[in-house]
Amino acid sequence: MNTWSLSWHGLRTVVSLELRQRIRSPRWMVALAAWFVLIGGITGLVIYSMSYLYGDRGYASEYSAGPLAFGIITMFVLGMGLMIAPAFTSTSINGDRSSGTLATLQATRLSAFEIAAGKLIAAWLAAAVFLVVALPFIVWTMVLGWISIWQVAVCFAVVFALVAVVCAIGLGWSALIQRTAGATVMTYLSVVLLSIISPMVMVLSMPFTLEETTYKVWGLPESVSNAYYDEVNRYWEQHPDGDGSGLPAPPVGECTWTEQRYENYRTDRLWWLLVPNPFVIVADAAPLPDVARDRLDTYVNMSSDPLAGIRLGVRSMAIGPELVRDDCIWLYNELGYNVDWNEDGTPNLTTQNGTPVPYDSPVPQRTVDAGSPVWPWGLGVNLAIGVVFFWVAVRRLAIPYGVLPRGVRVA
Amino acid sequence: MSETHPESPGIEADGLKRAFGDVRAVDGVSFVAPAGAVTALIGPNGSGKTTLLLLLAGLLKPDAGRAAVGGFDLATHNLQARSRVGWMPDVFGTWDSLTCVEILATFARAYGIAKPEAERRALELLHKVYLDEFAPRPARVLSRGQKQRLGLARALVHDPSVLLLDEPASGLDPRSRIELREVLRDLAAQGKTVLVSSHVLSELEEVYDHAVFLSQGRTVELATAAQPASMSRGWRLDAIDPVALRTFLDDADIPWQPGAGGEVVVQLASYESAAELLHAAVAAGVLVHTVAPLSGRLEEAYLSLDQERV
Repeated sequence: MNTWSLSWHGLRTVVSLELRQRIRSPRWMVALAAWFVLIGGITGLVIYSMSYLYGDRGYASEYSAGPLAFGIITMFVLGMGLMIAPAFTSTSINGDRSSGTLATLQATRLSAFEIAAGKLIAAWLAAAVFLVVALPFIVWTMVLGWISIWQVAVCFAVVFALVAVVCAIGLGWSALIQRTAGATVMTYLSVVLLSIISPMVMVLSMPFTLEETTYKVWGLPESVSNAYYDEVNRYWEQHPDGDGSGLPAPPVGECTWTEQRYENYRTDRLWWLLVPNPFVIVADAAPLPDVARDRLDTYVNMSSDPLAGIRLGVRSMAIGPELVRDDCIWLYNELGYNVDWNEDGTPNLTTQNGTPVPYDSPVPQRTVDAGSPVWPWGLGVNLAIGVVFFWVAVRRLAIPYGVLPRGVRVA
Repeated sequence: MSETHPESPGIEADGLKRAFGDVRAVDGVSFVAPAGAVTALIGPNGSGKTTLLLLLAGLLKPDAGRAAVGGFDLATHNLQARSRVGWMPDVFGTWDSLTCVEILATFARAYGIAKPEAERRALELLHKVYLDEFAPRPARVLSRGQKQRLGLARALVHDPSVLLLDEPASGLDPRSRIELREVLRDLAAQGKTVLVSSHVLSELEEVYDHAVFLSQGRTVELATAAQPASMSRGWRLDAIDPVALRTFLDDADIPWQPGAGGEVVVQLASYESAAELLHAAVAAGVLVHTVAPLSGRLEEAYLSLDQERV
């Protein structure tokens, strides 16, 4: 039949019908106004409380409160988007069926695909209006937070895509379940499963991944180490008020490879549970500011950017525990040198007054790769879920009906 | 259009069957409803009328048998068949926020009609069903009967060649019923195929050309269905002077029996016979004030179905 045929004329007919249906209802303007006030209030609260927290530093640089405010508002808008999207589609098909408007529409020349796609597009546009209404507040935090317009654009595009996925999930459930309340519950459960239950399962499964692993450690052999610390302790016993000037020098020249065993959480076996999480996807997709591009972990430590924090968390979990360690370098720290790392992970030792000290560590510092994004996978999984639910909706709208699902009346 | 098949433009159903679980709603329906005529679909509650109309509207797939509407097989040319069918369900839902003219225009566009033409068509149809004043108002303000008229207009929006009307008279006031009758006769006169189901048999009595009887999901062969107009039945006659009437009938050699009160009952073959009789009686100076069929043929047939049900 013409289940999958698609014409611009047919699609436009359904979209304009659905939009008129929604936008004319007086509830629409009330809901939009309430949403505007809510998000405005939350944004104001976040911005004010951050500046209170950060005091004088306020919004002075990209390392101050700005990125935190922007991250919170972006996550809030995403969360609210995920909360309102089910309302737009989860009663779309079963509701029309019970009000008797679906069968007459199906009996026309419109294809099942046109009806389903029209409903999805109209619902998505309606949900998008809510996101657009939130835009002024996003721009407010963008300006305060030294956020690039590019970051805002990407975050928003991803949020739009995720909202479309939730709309498709709702459409599928509304085609599968005859009772509108049942379909709405299932749509919300699907959203909760993706965004809350998956990280919960991950955290609760962590103990099962606990594993004893062997580390290769570059450091002092036990006997040398014990002898050194005995000497240090003796020094402090003899000079309880000493300034440390006569301390024995750490025997850095005796550093060698040793093996040690530790228990470790194998996060690399569970991290994938976070990949389809909408919040992780948005955080991971958000382009980093230039200052963070070189060293993600340094940026995360110095700034308060929650998006970068989530990105670092997920990407480090994916790498799993570090099985090689350099303990020797910390002895240099005790010698009074400054320990720092270069971009490529090699250590950089300097004296107090900044003179470089040659040090050749056999263990490069691990850097979390900022260039291997996980969000395309997460977004891909979500879009695939959306496509499946949309396909279900089209199948369920296709006429003539063969086997009718239980409880479904055609008209 | 080149796709039309003028040689078989009506409705043809052959051995249609459709079950829902273990309920055999339609269990062997075969009939032909020709173009240019009104075909009545008659049967008790639960006899499968609505399911049959859903099958013919292309919404349900038959378990067995085949059907064609407007010359297109529903199984192989569902879209073409659907485009030629105007289906009016027994319950017509409307979108709360849309005005009557928008509802009709939306359906016109759903049938592929361009926007300006769709709106013109919507207004024209609202006029036809006497709902002009409601054009800019939402359909939720309509009464049940008005909604039913809007439903009829909706079924006509794409100028279909086949009309499937499920209980179109329910909820209509007497005046609207007469208007509905005129609309149906009009449509048949335009060469369209009209299949109409109704419980209100007296409505169909005046308008139908053929009848299809359903009982327990099957078509039932009844003499009335084949030749409704030529079967003789009882007519009730009464005049100002009952004796003059009886004398006239005796003189004209028309057999009669006394009915309840002063009236008489005669057997007549058709409406034409009744008209001729009336004309002759008035010409002979008999002041006839009542000429009416004793009961509807459909009613008689319907009651015989009812007996079968037991």
